[in-house]
Amino acid sequence: MDIKEKDNTHISILVVGAGPAGLASAIAARSANKDAEIVVLEKGESVGNHNLSGAVLETASLIRLLDEARPDWKTIKGADSVLGRVVKEDDVHFLLGKELAVNISFLMKICKKLGLSFGEICNDGNTIVSTSRLTRLLGEIALSLGIEIYTGFGVKEILYDQDNRKAHGVKLVEQGLDKEGDPQPNYIEGEAITADIIILAEGTDGLVTEDFAVKAGLSRKNDQVFSVGVKEIIRVSKQQYALFGDNRVVHTMGYPLWLPIFGPAIFGGGFAYSCGENKIAVGIISGADWKYYNFNPQKALRDFKQHTLIKEFIDGGEIIEAGVKMIPEGGYYAVPRYLQPGTDGKKMNTVGYKNVMIVGDSAGFVNMNKIKGLHNAIESGALAGNAAIKCLKDPEKAADEYTGRLESNFVMDEMKSARNLRAIVARFGQAIGFPLSLFGNLFPRFAMEADYKAMTSRKFTFDTPGEFDKATFVALAGTEHREEQPSHLSISDPDLCINKCDPLFHRACITFCPAGVYEKIGIETRPANPSNCVHCKTCQRKCPFDNIRWTVPEGNGGPRYKQM
Amino acid sequence: MSNYIVTVKQVPDITQITGNAFNPETGTLKRGTLPSVINKLDADALAFANKMKHLSPGEIVCLTMGPPTAKEILTYSLSRSADAAVLLTDRVLGGADTPATANPLAYAIKKIAKDIFKGNDDYVVISGMQSVDGDTAQVPAQIAEELQIPCIAYATEVESINGKFRIEKIVSGGNQWVSPKAVPYVVTVANYEYPLFASFRRSRWANRFAVIKWTADDIKPTLFGYDGSKTRVTRVFPPPKGARKNIHCHNIDEFVKELVSAYKKGGSSGAFEGEETDYIVPSDRPGGLFQRNYEGTDKEINAYKQVTQALSRLGITKIDQLNESLVERVQEHLQEKLTKKMLQEIIEGYKTTQTSYSGDVWVIAEHDGKKTNDVTCELLGKATHLAKPLGVRVGVVIAGNKCKHMANDLIAAGADDVHIIEDVLLEDFRPGPYRSAVVDVIKKHNPQIVLFGATPQGRVLAPMIAYRLGCGLTADCTSLDIRDNSRQGNIAILMQTRPALGGNIMATIITKDSKIQMATARPGVMKKNRPDHSRKGNIIEHGATLAESDIGFDIIKTELSGGSANLSNADVIVSGGRGLRSRDNYDKLVNDLAAVIRKKLDCQVELGASRAAVEQGFINRTHQVGQTGTAVSPRLYIALGISGAIQHLIGIENSEIIVAINSDPLAPVFKHSDYYMVGNAEEIVPQITEALRH
Repeated sequence: MDIKEKDNTHISILVVGAGPAGLASAIAARSANKDAEIVVLEKGESVGNHNLSGAVLETASLIRLLDEARPDWKTIKGADSVLGRVVKEDDVHFLLGKELAVNISFLMKICKKLGLSFGEICNDGNTIVSTSRLTRLLGEIALSLGIEIYTGFGVKEILYDQDNRKAHGVKLVEQGLDKEGDPQPNYIEGEAITADIIILAEGTDGLVTEDFAVKAGLSRKNDQVFSVGVKEIIRVSKQQYALFGDNRVVHTMGYPLWLPIFGPAIFGGGFAYSCGENKIAVGIISGADWKYYNFNPQKALRDFKQHTLIKEFIDGGEIIEAGVKMIPEGGYYAVPRYLQPGTDGKKMNTVGYKNVMIVGDSAGFVNMNKIKGLHNAIESGALAGNAAIKCLKDPEKAADEYTGRLESNFVMDEMKSARNLRAIVARFGQAIGFPLSLFGNLFPRFAMEADYKAMTSRKFTFDTPGEFDKATFVALAGTEHREEQPSHLSISDPDLCINKCDPLFHRACITFCPAGVYEKIGIETRPANPSNCVHCKTCQRKCPFDNIRWTVPEGNGGPRYKQM
Repeated sequence: MSNYIVTVKQVPDITQITGNAFNPETGTLKRGTLPSVINKLDADALAFANKMKHLSPGEIVCLTMGPPTAKEILTYSLSRSADAAVLLTDRVLGGADTPATANPLAYAIKKIAKDIFKGNDDYVVISGMQSVDGDTAQVPAQIAEELQIPCIAYATEVESINGKFRIEKIVSGGNQWVSPKAVPYVVTVANYEYPLFASFRRSRWANRFAVIKWTADDIKPTLFGYDGSKTRVTRVFPPPKGARKNIHCHNIDEFVKELVSAYKKGGSSGAFEGEETDYIVPSDRPGGLFQRNYEGTDKEINAYKQVTQALSRLGITKIDQLNESLVERVQEHLQEKLTKKMLQEIIEGYKTTQTSYSGDVWVIAEHDGKKTNDVTCELLGKATHLAKPLGVRVGVVIAGNKCKHMANDLIAAGADDVHIIEDVLLEDFRPGPYRSAVVDVIKKHNPQIVLFGATPQGRVLAPMIAYRLGCGLTADCTSLDIRDNSRQGNIAILMQTRPALGGNIMATIITKDSKIQMATARPGVMKKNRPDHSRKGNIIEHGATLAESDIGFDIIKTELSGGSANLSNADVIVSGGRGLRSRDNYDKLVNDLAAVIRKKLDCQVELGASRAAVEQGFINRTHQVGQTGTAVSPRLYIALGISGAIQHLIGIENSEIIVAINSDPLAPVFKHSDYYMVGNAEEIVPQITEALRH
């Protein structure tokens, strides 16, 4: 019973990452061609484990995708509970200090009527979803359509042939190394998988995407910038839940991240969404260009939960799940593209290159006006899936085809219209930046620098004292890695930590890493607990010296989100 | 060239049990809330088979019995190392206990050998030692018994010497290397450190592989399903609550203070009660034959009480006055109405007054050639309590090469009859000859109850003997009582209570369709009698008719680790696990803490270790605490860097006070401890040691 290598390691359409974008591309491709060979690789132990978001979803793209692929999808067990929570109450509050909240929902509604960008935050007709559960549903549908999904396989790098300037596959992460990196008896090498067309759908800050960008020469006009989202699901009492509402979304700005004049100045805000069964999702999103060396986004969540507006709904509740994820916020100018030569105006700068397409958060399709990216992830994925089928016979045209579809689609329209908000706020601060951003599209491109450069020696003094219990948080994320493997996190130059970071920033990573991965051991800073890692990658984007590298660990590791 | 059959089982992932996965009312698992996974030890068995295949090439066929969804674990196996996979799935096979599971599996194995291996008998059946949901460890041994082939239990490693397999296995207090004498044979794997990873290539192949599906008709088993089962669960309930205090300490001084004062006071010992049996057979009951105070559940006792009162109001005093027409009249006199069916059964139940079983209560002894093990005396203590109200004798069987000299101690411990089997082939414990010898003696004397220790030896021997005699067996009991189940016509039967699903639920089980009620009982749970050397008893010697061919495997060597771990008599045990990360850390942290406790509390302190720590070489196997090591019951048990694998928790649950330190706040050990601290043992332990010094 030989296992013929040839039969199994070449694939027609390979999707890296079984998140909403990757699964949407696979499902769209299947709808367009019943016989195409489509394989999705996922590093998590099962589909949905590594997916976390708010989330409020604009469902149009998803419903179109599913109606086409499985007209009976609504009858699938659980589908109604995943997509049944339509927003009925939608309010925005400005938090001034620990107790005061000003409801500014009406302002947003006026903005919406006037067609101003602030109005886009309104959620009429949208649906509250758990991204983790939504992804699981998409995975189930994909499997039912004959799409192959393999979980527990991390991709290490893209196989790129520099001579022919073409990607021909990917290499998987090897398995069974011990802590020192020596093979154990059960070692298996990282397999090479070849593919005609590759869709990169890794989510935020994709390693293979970045590897591909370097190898194929893709570039961004602005550096990608991020926010760090911390979220908890809290089971509250029946009374509290009834008080909060079963279909409600609350967004806040201001405290504890920002207060006028002498207060803290971090981009971002908080949210609270109904999740059904007496559960409320509470989270806070902090711009990763924070300036304070000692800032920890989890402590911001803790303070947010203590605000009068939120506290009454969740006080005494039980946190049943927790997690962290980065959001790519650089927008239109941070989409990685291949700049094509040619002056005839017909050449376009592709999101990908030749047979490789980049979709969803890996491309950075987050609309900052709406503070949403999920719908764009699904739509861009579907476009890539269709482009892949169109170009099955001529795979090198795929990125062109995909980009052409993107440019004439709402995804790019949205990205363009929201292109300056984040940059203007970063440049002018929130007091001036937000009002100014209403006219964001009148401005040229504002440059943005990478988040790590923003770090200063200023101390964040606005939070309540006391350590955050990271160990419990990690446990609530269900994170786990095989202990006996080499650390997937590395510090490039240990001297920088000792001589530069320590005096200036007091080894910021030890504070901000939400999983408590980093510790001071002796005089060095080390990723002492890599098995705690929740795969948020904040460390590699926020180390003030750009001194940390995150690689993909052995498959099956990482968080096990169930309803995030 | 050998072939390999690996039996695998799909189980709920109990590592993901949170408070919510259980229905708090009934203590039963809410199905569907836990993901299904391959039983961890079966994954180890697959890796073990892969190693064997590496040493002697052949095919690996995976076999599972279960619902159609069990295909998932076959795909798991195929994507790692299996060459083919068989799914035995059929409604009629469902609801089976262990013999009714082992029998179809054995028939499927025969069919695999015939159809897939083309009649080649050079194969090995490899299985995880036990499953995480049932943890009885009975099925593999019973498969061996059905196939009449040897069983090598508790294997941890395999090598090939001159083309022959040599298997390393765990025995009490050490390791043993054995070599099978002939094929085929069964190996059960207790641990194999390097589970296989899936390769992408294999995963894709496995995804397309058509699993071979067989139904009962394809294999024609002789014992299967609920009807073929020899045991029945009569009651499932949550484990006794509040047995552990679960106090989370944050401060070292507070922690040390609590620990010392708790030690001095004595703790919440004995998660298991109801040790003393107060049973009286119906004919001797002061209230007469209508007195039914010894039913299995309180609910039934109450129901009988009401009905008895109602009958006395109606002037019914004799059994021959009972008839169908009473049902409605009794109903009128009841305060709480009962269903008609229940009432009929209750009234019918009065008619049975004779005990359902007859014969003595027996214990199968374990010994090291010099003296008997503690568990044997514990079982004799229990047997005395069971036998007394039944008015029968306590028997004990002891088998070995020279073992007569232990007879008097057995009598002192409670035995009335000591059955001695001596034969040179019984020198070392090997399941084959042992079970033949013991079965012959049991057949001759027909006891009604036979008890074994749930030890590495008893957990192999008992299932084989039970299977051979066609009797039900309940593993790992923590409580054994004589009770009635009058409504079913059962009087004076053995109610066997055991924890299941890693101690998350308790189940009471009774034997059915069997002549003998058999159980293994956990060491350290039952209470010994005070030795009475003036007791008199009979010594009966039996010959054994054994042949070389009964032996099954040659023992190459046995290495009992040196050292003097006396875990069973320790007042305090300081144990270290994998979380201590290195032998140096273990030596330093555990030794220092033990030394300072010894001085401070002036007591006997021993060092313990989890299986993982032993495998990592932190300390030798005599110090291993847990189901495959030593089950312990100290006044104070301190677990450092031990997350709390089920086998370990089972081994420590009789400790009076359990204290744990672990960095994972959700470590299972915390739920089973009285005091705990969350944090890195390397940091906390030296502080505790320091605090205790003062």
